[in-house]
Parts: sequence; structure tokens; C-alpha cells
Amino acid sequence: MKRLYLLAAAAAAVALAATPALAEDTITVGFTASLTGPLNVDSAGQQRGYEFWRDEVNAAGGIKAGGKSYKVKFVTYDDQSVGGRVQQLYTRLINQDKADFLFSPYSSGLTAPATVISEQYGKIMIDSGGAEEKPFETGNKYLFMVITSASHYLSGAVEALKKYNPQAKLALVYSDDPFSKAVLAAAAKQAKDAGLEVVMNESYSPSTTDFGPIVNKIVSSNADAFLGGGHYSDGATLARQMHDQKANMKWISILVAPADDKFGELGPAALGVTVPSQWELQVNYTPQFGPTTAQFAKAFQDKMHAKADYHGASGYTVGVVLQHAIEQAGSIDTEKVAAALNATDIATFFGHVKFATDAGHHGLQVAHQMVLAQWQMVDGKLGRQVIWPEDARSAPAMYPIKQQ
Amino acid sequence: MSLLRLTRRPFFWIIALVIASFVLVPWLGNDVQLRESLLLAALYITLASNLNLMLGYAGYINFGSIVFFGLGGYICVWLVNSYNWPLSASLITAGVCVSALALIFGLGILRLRGAFFALSTIGIVEAVEAFAENFTPWGGSAGVYLSSSIFAPLGGPARALWVLYFIMVGVMGASLYLSYAIKSSKFGLGLLAIGQNEDAAAILGVPTPFYKALVYSASAFLPAIAGGLYFFKSAFIQPSDAFDLSLSTEALVVAMLGGQGTVTGVALGAYLYEELRGYLLTSQTFSNFQLVIAGALLLLIVLFFPGGLMGFIYSRFPRTQKVLE
Repeated sequence: MKRLYLLAAAAAAVALAATPALAEDTITVGFTASLTGPLNVDSAGQQRGYEFWRDEVNAAGGIKAGGKSYKVKFVTYDDQSVGGRVQQLYTRLINQDKADFLFSPYSSGLTAPATVISEQYGKIMIDSGGAEEKPFETGNKYLFMVITSASHYLSGAVEALKKYNPQAKLALVYSDDPFSKAVLAAAAKQAKDAGLEVVMNESYSPSTTDFGPIVNKIVSSNADAFLGGGHYSDGATLARQMHDQKANMKWISILVAPADDKFGELGPAALGVTVPSQWELQVNYTPQFGPTTAQFAKAFQDKMHAKADYHGASGYTVGVVLQHAIEQAGSIDTEKVAAALNATDIATFFGHVKFATDAGHHGLQVAHQMVLAQWQMVDGKLGRQVIWPEDARSAPAMYPIKQQ
Repeated sequence: MSLLRLTRRPFFWIIALVIASFVLVPWLGNDVQLRESLLLAALYITLASNLNLMLGYAGYINFGSIVFFGLGGYICVWLVNSYNWPLSASLITAGVCVSALALIFGLGILRLRGAFFALSTIGIVEAVEAFAENFTPWGGSAGVYLSSSIFAPLGGPARALWVLYFIMVGVMGASLYLSYAIKSSKFGLGLLAIGQNEDAAAILGVPTPFYKALVYSASAFLPAIAGGLYFFKSAFIQPSDAFDLSLSTEALVVAMLGGQGTVTGVALGAYLYEELRGYLLTSQTFSNFQLVIAGALLLLIVLFFPGGLMGFIYSRFPRTQKVLE
């Protein structure tokens, strides 16, 4: 760090001495990714987003701050999806690799241990892979999160239902894992506040493969709206069995599974199913900073040879937010950049970004909104359309679900 | 052999030297990276050494040793978080509670032998994990997040990490001395007899059910404290991390690679295993195929050193048997 300051000072002196060319320097960003262990798939998506951002920034000449231009360099290790390893590696990233800024590991469970280290050394860490609110309630000063937290995942679904049918009877059926439980507990409260009736509220073991008895129970509860799910296989099975057993739901919101393109293979069972999503290819926000959705999607496709998904988009947004803060601060000094992050209030292609600044929730995302996507028929083919919030929608909602 | 007489044996001082170097080398060099790396090594040594009491001495394969670690972690984190207990009292309470539970469980499941015992130990892990997932004061499946203010009584986070490290090294040292003391005692001889032939041991007057339950309980105490330290340091605990069966399996592998039944071998195996994993993970050259290398090395060791590391050392240098336990 010291050397960097000296270099920065020297460079500033040279710049003042009237050389118009920008001096070049680097900033090091450190993070761990779960290349092995249970979090591998999701973590890899997030890492692709980070790397894509780095390549784009460097290709555009780097981050410009205080008359200097900084190329971005990454240092990264495999954390094996293990908390103890995360602490060891973040200590190394800060002390040996001299990381100027940190990105979070994937998941709240790994971000919490990493925060013990990052806060101790006063390093900024930006999080896009842990949606739980609790790590933000423990008094951290340098942790910031760009995605919407778990308790707002189904807020949009509840609002949409309230609009389409205030008399809806809700069945909440969800996987017994921390994330799904947090999401549905918040949804139950929001439904109650919205005056909707919850007629069934039940969790199932994450390893459940046959939902026959559960679907029967949903039918006999007289529910006409379904909110729930958990991961891919259980969510997809639930959708299929509700269709096969003619549960005749007027509204279905399932977590995670319908966000996967594979979900379309369910055919008629997928029709009308909605999924809350941090980001979809169809959302159309007007960015104040960074690329538009169309530019991002095309460049991502060309460069990474894969369709952009929300893990990639949120990973990219972490970079965009850091870049914006550094440019606003005009410096790479941690305190100045942290102040700039606290003041951040911008629209990006990913949505609006603004952080809570009160001590009880510092760093929590307060502006970004989930969108609700629905599987609809478009030109004879099943595809997802954004239906909520209404100002970002690409098609009107189908309510009630009609079989074609 | 009385404990005092142990101090006259060179092995006692070898352990002391190991502990001293764990404390002094990172501290004098103020090397936090080395500290983090050695902390994980000390954790592995603690887990493997205590597992060795069951596995190497009494000949019982315990797949579920991680339950002590996880339960200790939960009790400690719970007392610190919900009742503002100081860390020291929470750690000791965690150790005592888990040890007492192990004694009760042990009297029940240690009637089983061989594969049935091994299976029942996995069952205990699953049962305790299910309990933690549904026990609201422990945060259910979401777990417990600790506030950063918990480090304040230890002098702030930077100093707290050193304090936690020194306690972890202390726990490691206690594990090594416990292994050594048991091995040198009449109790240890009884356990080794059980490991050789349980029926014969019973006929010769070894109180087998009691000895087995006692060693099961003894092997729970220090891992429970280590769990408390580990999760306090992480400031977070959730059931899937606390009761991760793969850590149990790693401890078994480490004990067998090092040489089950020996104190030195198990500790050395744990140390080398952790340092190797740590090196491969961060090495520029190997990090992309670290699992392949780790797997190949394990295979080679199993194929060519069936007696573990200590078996190899004993056969090449027979005189070491007199010094290294």
C-alpha cells in the first residue's frame, strides 16, 4: 500500500507538471471462489461476472481516478466452500497479495467468516452472492451488498397478487433450507399485511422427490395461489405434479427453478409459473453508469460464449459499483471509496443500487428490486417475460393461469 | 505410570517443543498468514488425535467424530450470543456438556461392534444435525451470526485472532498430552487390549463397556472446545458446516495415513495433510488441479506405506520406536 501511495503521489506530481498522458497503475482485487464443494455451480457463475467486468474495464483503459488510470488485477483462490478456509485465504489476500479491495465469496455462510477478516483490516468487501440480511446486522463498516436481500424475494409476487386478486388464498410450501425459509417467512408477513389469506404454510425436506401428498393437501386447503419451492429439482417437480394432479392454481410463484431455461422442458406445466429474479435479460432499466442490458448481454455472449444469467450480471454489477465509487472518490483510498459507496445512488442495467447507512443495517441493499418473470407463450414457444414491477415489464401478466 | 514420570521421558519434551514452536514462530515473526495456516493444522491435529483414541487404541471406527466439534461449536456460540457469557466459560461448558452427552450416548451405542457401531455414529450426526436445524434458539437451519462486538472483550478483532490461535494451540497440546498419557496408562493398555480382541480383554478382567464409554467421552472433550473456538472465530455457525461429515472422514484418513494408534504419526499426518492442502490451494502452478494431486498422493501413500507414516518410519529406523510414541 505504501508503495502504491508513493507511486500515486509521484504520478500526480508528474501529471501536474503538465504531461497530458495518464500514468498507468494497477489495483488488486482479491476474492475466493468455491471451485470445489457444494457451492461450485453458483459460485462459478458469479466469478464469470467478475472476470468479464475486469476484462471490459481493462480493455476500456482501466478505472480513472484522480488523473490516473488503474488497470484491474485479480487474485483468487479456491475456498472449497469451507468457512475456515475462507478466513485463511482472505488473510493471505490482504497481507501477502496486498489486495486493495475485496469481493465476497459466494453465499452468506462464507461471507460472514470473510467479513471477520476484511473488517479487521478495514478493507472494503462488496457482496453479490449472499442474500441473507443477518451479516449486515452485526455492525460491519466496509461490507456492501448489491443484490436484494432474502426478505424481499417474494414482495413483488405478493404485490402483484394483491392487485390481481385481493381475495386470493395462499398456499406457502417451501424447502426446509435457510434461504427458502427466510424468503417465505417474510412473504407470509407481507401477505398478511396486504390482507391476503394464507390457508397453508408448510415446509418439506430438501430431499423430497414425491410431492403427491403435498399437492393433495394444497388442493384440499382450497388455495388458489401458490408461493414456495427451494432449489431446481424440487421446484420443477412441484410445478409438474401440480399440473398433473390438476390443482388448478390461478397463480404460481416458485423460487429458483423457473429461472433456469431447462424449466421450459416441462411444457404445459411451466405455463404461467412465475419466478422472482434479481435480474432477467428482458429488464429494461436506463443505466446512469455502465452498459445497458442489451450491450451487457451481447458482449457477455460474445466473450464468455454463454447466455448472461443473474449470477453473471450481479457479479459484473459488483465491479461496476466499485468502479463508480472509485471514480466518484477520485482516489483508491479505502475511507474515501467507502464514503463514496455510502453515497452511491445510481441506476445500472442490473437495477437501482443504494446502500443502507444506518448502523443496524449498514451496507444492506435498499434500492434494487426483484423482478417477477412469468413463463408465457411467445410466438408459439415457451419463454420468460418480465411482468413485475410494471415499469420494467416486457409483457402483461397472465392471471389467472389459463391452459392453452 | 504416573503423570509425573511422563515428564522424564523425551517424548514429553518433544510435544512441549512442538507446542512452543507453534506459539513462537508465527508470534515472533508477527506472521498472520502462517498463524491462519497453523490454526487449521492445529484443528486437524486436535480432531485426528482425539479420533485416534477410539480408532487407534480401542479399534472402534467413529465416522461421526465431527458431532463433538459441531455440538461444542453450537453450545459455545449460543452461550456467547444469547447469554453474553465470556468465551472461556462458554468453551469449558461446551466441553463438559458434550463430554457428558458422549458418556450417555456411549453407554448405549458402544454395545454395538464393527460396522454396526460405525453406522450408528453416522446416525448420531444426522440426528443431532436434525435437532440443530429445528431448534429455534440455535437459529434453526439459518444458523447464528455473531456480532463483531464479541471480539471486544479479547481486545478487538486483531488481538482476538491471536488469542484464539493460542487457545487453539493449547487445545492441540492438550490433545497430544492426553493421547500420550492414555497410551502410557493402565487405561490405555486396557483399550489396546480391547482393540486386539475385545472378548479376550473382557475375560482377562478389563471392564470393557465402561472403558469404551469413558474413552468415547474423553475423545469428545477437546474437539468440542476446538469447535467452540472455530465457530466463534468464524462469527457464524449453521448445521451444514457444524456437522459436515466430510471433515469426519478427513480426520479418519489423516489418522490412518499418519499411523493409527501412534501419537506422533497422527499428529504428523494431520499437519502434513493440512499444509499440503493449503499449499496446493494457493500455489500458482498447482491450484487448478490441487484435488488431482492430493488424490494421487493419498493413493501412493496407501499403496506403499500400508502402516501409515509411522509404520514406515519405525521399520526404517527401529530405534525411533523407543522415543516416538
